[in-house]
Amino acid sequence: MPERRAAHPGLYPARGEHPPLLGQCCARCGHVAFPPNPYGCESCGAEADSLESRALAGAGELAAFATVHLHAGKGIEAPFTVGLIVLDDGPAVRATLTCRTDAGLAIGDRVQSVLVPQGADDAGNETVELRFEPLPRAASAGDA
Amino acid sequence: MGRTLRELRPVRVVGIGLHRYQRMSETSFVTLGLTAVREALADAGLEWSNVESVYNGTALLGLAPTRVMLRHLGATGIPMAQVENASASGSTAFAQACFEVASGISDVVLAMGVDKPAPIAIAAAKAGIRDLVGSRVSPMTHFALLTNEYMHRYDVRPEQVAQVAVKNSRNGAANPYAQRQKARTLEEVLAPPQISGALTRLQCCPIGEGAAAVIVASDDAIARLGLESERAPRVLASVTRTERVYPGAKNFDAELTRETTSLAYEQAGVGPQDLDLIECHDAFAIEELLYVEAMGLCGEGEGAAMLASGDTAIGGRCAVSPSGGLLSMGHPIGPTGAGQICELTRQLRGEAGIRQQPGARTGLAHMVGIGAVCVVHVLQAG
Repeated sequence: MPERRAAHPGLYPARGEHPPLLGQCCARCGHVAFPPNPYGCESCGAEADSLESRALAGAGELAAFATVHLHAGKGIEAPFTVGLIVLDDGPAVRATLTCRTDAGLAIGDRVQSVLVPQGADDAGNETVELRFEPLPRAASAGDA
Repeated sequence: MGRTLRELRPVRVVGIGLHRYQRMSETSFVTLGLTAVREALADAGLEWSNVESVYNGTALLGLAPTRVMLRHLGATGIPMAQVENASASGSTAFAQACFEVASGISDVVLAMGVDKPAPIAIAAAKAGIRDLVGSRVSPMTHFALLTNEYMHRYDVRPEQVAQVAVKNSRNGAANPYAQRQKARTLEEVLAPPQISGALTRLQCCPIGEGAAAVIVASDDAIARLGLESERAPRVLASVTRTERVYPGAKNFDAELTRETTSLAYEQAGVGPQDLDLIECHDAFAIEELLYVEAMGLCGEGEGAAMLASGDTAIGGRCAVSPSGGLLSMGHPIGPTGAGQICELTRQLRGEAGIRQQPGARTGLAHMVGIGAVCVVHVLQAG
């Protein structure tokens, strides 16, 4: 039976319209982190058994972006655009945006997570990758 | 309670030498390293047999390159070790050499760096912690994001950031050891290829090959060996810090530089107003603006205006990267931090020729390494 898989297993579920990011919260100091780690808390040094899974809403604000024009790695073709996103739930994460270039993007734009199909393997298993999609800006008085 | 470098016995730079930074060639690392070390020995007026210990900053050559290279100066049996601290490897080699002399363990120590381009294997990739972007965010894109954020926050245009590369290309054109020795116009710097975000090729440092060597000595050795103390700047401070946890999207590169530099000022007993020159980690053009602000040379967001005023040019209030910096002198990784000390020393001696910063008396060297680490040294004329 073909499955749907996350391109980054453990970092987000492979299903859902706007999936959460699977982060961690330290039971000792309250530090919220993404990505999760199996070793210990970067903020207070608590051991891994103090690190509790915490789903972070896939929503935040764009703090910076850059369109990569030259890229040698696999899995994506340039140009593509990465963003630094401050999640509503705290941590700042870097992620690929759904737009290939930065045309129309602005710092402060609201963004939300979406799963983008990355193709299927021979067994028919589909891979999906979490990216962030910019939301239309609310019209303000100045836009009229 | 620990003590700072300045509270121990004085450490002075007595000899400097370089092999030009250049594109990858057939030249072996042995030749690169020996060229720099022989030049440093001649500069100091020392024999190889006077050197008691070696720290070699290198990241890309493979296991145990140092004795393989230095045995050709005569295998004297002295202690040698490789030092890897990412881009700051040469800076950390220098720090270790300073500590060894300051502590009294040795009188004459060689700090050097040598490297040739090779595939870079970063240990973080083996830590078993994946993020969402992996290799999609290269160092270039990391700094392209910071460029984007900076331009937005302070209403700065890409041309103003690119002026960093224009200035440093002018400095590099006057430096025979620089990999890029061509003065560039703004148009040339802004010309394609666009690499990532607003960063063009000439706003990214070249990674080539080269070597740098610095010999440090105690006052006892300077007197005993009859060295020229007036050509031997004193190392007033050596500070290394690593990244901590900063809130939200805070720019950790700038925070780390702010913290490290501030400790170095305190240890050296100087402030930003006392600096005549800085060798700055300008691997990407935006970094110079971020770091001169973090170092307190100007206020937040004033870096571009300070650059435009000429205050950071040679002849200005504080020359920033008179060597050409990483952008023009180049960034062969291991040597880079040691090469900065060579430039500070040359400048503080008044021997920098056409790129001499007039009246240079106090200088600061600053390197950042992926991981992240920051290493700052303050030197003062002898």
